[in-house]
Amino acid sequence: MQHIKSKKGRWSFRLASAGVVAALCFPAFAFEEAPMLKEMVDAGTLPPVAERMPNEPMVMEVIEQPGEYGGTLRRAILGGGDQHNLVRTIGSENLVRWDATWSEVKPNIAESWEVSPDAKTFTFKLREGMRWSDGEPFNADDIMFWYEDVFSNRELTPTWDSNYVGPNGPVVVTKIDDYTVKFSFDTPNGLFIQNMAYGFGYYPTAYAKHYLKQFHIKYNPDVQKLVDAEPAASDWVQLFGLKAGAMDTPLFWQNPDRPTLHAWHLNNAYGSTDRVVAERNPYYWKVDSEGQQLPYIDKITYDQVEDVETILLKVFNGEIDYMNRHVGRPSYRAVLTDNMERGKYHFFDTNDLPASTVNLMMNLTNTDPVKREVVNNKNFRIGISYAMNRQEIIDLLYFGSGHAAQASPQPGSVLYDEEFSKEYTEYDPDKANEYLDKAGLTERDSEGFRLGPDGKRFTLTFMVADVFGVQFPDAMELATAYAADVGIDFQVRATDRSRLIEMTTNNEQDAYIWNCGGGQADAYTQPMCYLPQPSNSVNWARLWAEWGVDHTKGEEPPENVKAIFDAYDEVKAAATPEEQKAKMKHVLDLAKAELFTVGLVQNEPAFGIARNNMRNIPDPLPIAGQLWYPAPYTAQFYFEGGKALP
Amino acid sequence: MFGFLARRILYMIPTLFLVSIVTFAIIQLPPGDYLDTLAADMGEAGSDNNAAIEALRLQYGLGEPMYVQYGKWMSGILLHGNFGLSFEKNRPVTDLIWDRLGWTFLISLLTLAFIWLTALPIGIYSAVKKYSAGDYIATFFGFIGLAIPNFLLALVMMYVAFRYFGQSVGGLVSPQYLDAPWTWAKFGNLLEHIWMPIFVIGTSGAAALIRIMRANLLDELYRPYVVTARAKGMSEFQLLLRYPVRVALNPFISTIGWILPTLVSGEIIVSVVMNLPTTGPMLLRALLVQDMYLAGSLILIVSVLTVVGTLISDLLLAWIDPRIRYQ
Repeated sequence: MQHIKSKKGRWSFRLASAGVVAALCFPAFAFEEAPMLKEMVDAGTLPPVAERMPNEPMVMEVIEQPGEYGGTLRRAILGGGDQHNLVRTIGSENLVRWDATWSEVKPNIAESWEVSPDAKTFTFKLREGMRWSDGEPFNADDIMFWYEDVFSNRELTPTWDSNYVGPNGPVVVTKIDDYTVKFSFDTPNGLFIQNMAYGFGYYPTAYAKHYLKQFHIKYNPDVQKLVDAEPAASDWVQLFGLKAGAMDTPLFWQNPDRPTLHAWHLNNAYGSTDRVVAERNPYYWKVDSEGQQLPYIDKITYDQVEDVETILLKVFNGEIDYMNRHVGRPSYRAVLTDNMERGKYHFFDTNDLPASTVNLMMNLTNTDPVKREVVNNKNFRIGISYAMNRQEIIDLLYFGSGHAAQASPQPGSVLYDEEFSKEYTEYDPDKANEYLDKAGLTERDSEGFRLGPDGKRFTLTFMVADVFGVQFPDAMELATAYAADVGIDFQVRATDRSRLIEMTTNNEQDAYIWNCGGGQADAYTQPMCYLPQPSNSVNWARLWAEWGVDHTKGEEPPENVKAIFDAYDEVKAAATPEEQKAKMKHVLDLAKAELFTVGLVQNEPAFGIARNNMRNIPDPLPIAGQLWYPAPYTAQFYFEGGKALP
Repeated sequence: MFGFLARRILYMIPTLFLVSIVTFAIIQLPPGDYLDTLAADMGEAGSDNNAAIEALRLQYGLGEPMYVQYGKWMSGILLHGNFGLSFEKNRPVTDLIWDRLGWTFLISLLTLAFIWLTALPIGIYSAVKKYSAGDYIATFFGFIGLAIPNFLLALVMMYVAFRYFGQSVGGLVSPQYLDAPWTWAKFGNLLEHIWMPIFVIGTSGAAALIRIMRANLLDELYRPYVVTARAKGMSEFQLLLRYPVRVALNPFISTIGWILPTLVSGEIIVSVVMNLPTTGPMLLRALLVQDMYLAGSLILIVSVLTVVGTLISDLLLAWIDPRIRYQ
């Protein structure tokens, strides 16, 4: 239930579009600012609000209604590895953004953009007069600093993020004027705007030239002095890495001096204090439809805890105002419900809906020729699929929450295809036996297990890591029993996540159990279950995936797989959203016919908690790996009454 | 005495050297390194940021062979007092651990005081009044204290504090004082919280010492020297404390050597559960993510404390019990 009221057209900042004139016009609209900032302006320590804002601030659509200022949003953060807690509340301000329902790309830092008809060049228009969180101007030079001195410097960037690389080389960025930049590729890249709206689109607008140039040898020949003063760095590259880390690493959140374009700015570094505090950015460049500068909430605090259960207790005590991270597990729902009155909170849904939550992936490019031959037989995969009692897994492990489905777009996604989702998902051991016989595994040994083409018992070793809190080891145990019922020998080996990732990226595994993204709008950019894609975590045909990126590497796939590669290239070449959708449907149709992986379960929406006076909260909240939500929509959250409930 | 001391201190050097090598090797034993853990954490971002990982591999010098890494680490410690860099926090280890070591020492010393203050009188009482109602009660709670895992006790107490007293649980101060400067109000708030970890960590130690004290004292109480002293008309209380209790104290002293290392590494699970700002959670986390210089430095410090603690308890034993020889 989304209540986004479009306030467009009520009155428009476009009246005052021409540079200097704008500054004169704004007093007429009288921007509002937070009381804490007004005090600073009155005391003379901060320039007036009109001077701090761009000539045309972004008018943010709010979820319910324009809010009121004040309050501290309280959260908890784990002592390590929890940087996404920060990323997803205050990070994620890109040139463009997805709307709050994840259906359409909208302007953000860029006031507007243009896509060339051949989908090769993308021109972004920036906002004049926009400023970094320390008050210095932000313009095309900052983006050029990122492009020329960070992205193109092979010492600082040894490998490129895939968003910014076409098949023939990296993006070329050119400055048209102070407020216009052009990104060009030499092949069509129709999904570029979508990609820029996802998390990793943050790069071009995260490097404040005026601050970072002191750490760059090109601008500061004396940088060695700074290196000597920093115990954690031994050369300028390390120093720059320390000061300008990537947002999804802890480094970004350990340098509070770095200016950002975010709604709140860190006061102290993550990881070395009991509490991380983020205070409002007085130069934030968004307003609501009534001209109130965002964000509404003064401060966000993250109390450092060591254990997830401690967060739960804090929630019961009303010490957490808004959180879905860590607390949104199905097994916590009952106890959270019991304490709702005491903690004065309520639930909201989070649509973290991947293509598959529990997915069996057999390695189609296995180095063992016998295993490879068998798993590449589609009848074998169909047989395994029919052998699985999905409903029992859902009932036993997930308290009945979830539905049986192949790895496919979720119901509710525009790409949903019921046939794809439900095909071969009923539990039918007879059909399973029939398909396994068809796959040629007709002989059995004395214990009833089927023999492979080499006359030996056919065995697949599944690697399993206990991750994501979805009980993969238990699910695998059940799957092993179902497979044994139809004469297939699954062996299970427990391992940890990093070892498993290492194995699958080196093509060393027989098979493993994991999840798979691409269940919603991210099917376009994350089609890892629909065609072989090189990935850290989802690898069911690593050698083909490597070939797909670079034909000199990996191994050439069969024609049917090549056809899907070609179809996906057409998606990327399409310039309009309608065309992209039609081409993507084609990719999914081809994938459906293959059944590359055996999907078991798609989960129901998870949940989060919000204190009862929090307003403007997206419900359901779309969220996905690459979609770093609820940021940037946290800026329009507010407390009714101006502060957290006691 | 002096020769004994000098010899013991000399022995410490090769011991610690070996410990440092073993520590470093064991930390590196699991496959992968910190960046693999980081890559797994970063996987949450939805796609693989190999770009950032490659840059960090250069940043942290993780591609180098192990003996080079060890050599750098050791020479840093010996020549500059620099314990290396924590990968996860991106700060020198020495910046990170002293705060936490301070809290750890405070909590542990208070716990030690709690253990002795409860175990000594109760142990003496239950030995002297053997098979009395008081002895049975002490024995009953002593065994329960021994049998309950500390972390379970911590969980139960936290639940009770939360459910019936509405107290904010976890940590040493309430959230509103977390980043406040030290005031009397904050100190009072600290006292409201700190008794809980002390009690939880102290119970099993106290229970064990009650049992040991009782058994040792019972051995001594019927010795001829006690009878002699009593026959000479010494007051019962003075007699008890001056002779048999002093002999029975032996295990209290000899366990000091073990108490120092548990100051740093002990009760990790309790600290994690109760969210204490001590070294325990930091060490656990460092080991899990293979933040090797941080973990290595903590283990090295624990080892030094163990060796020093053993030395201290040996010296104290020799002082309190003249029967012990420096051999």
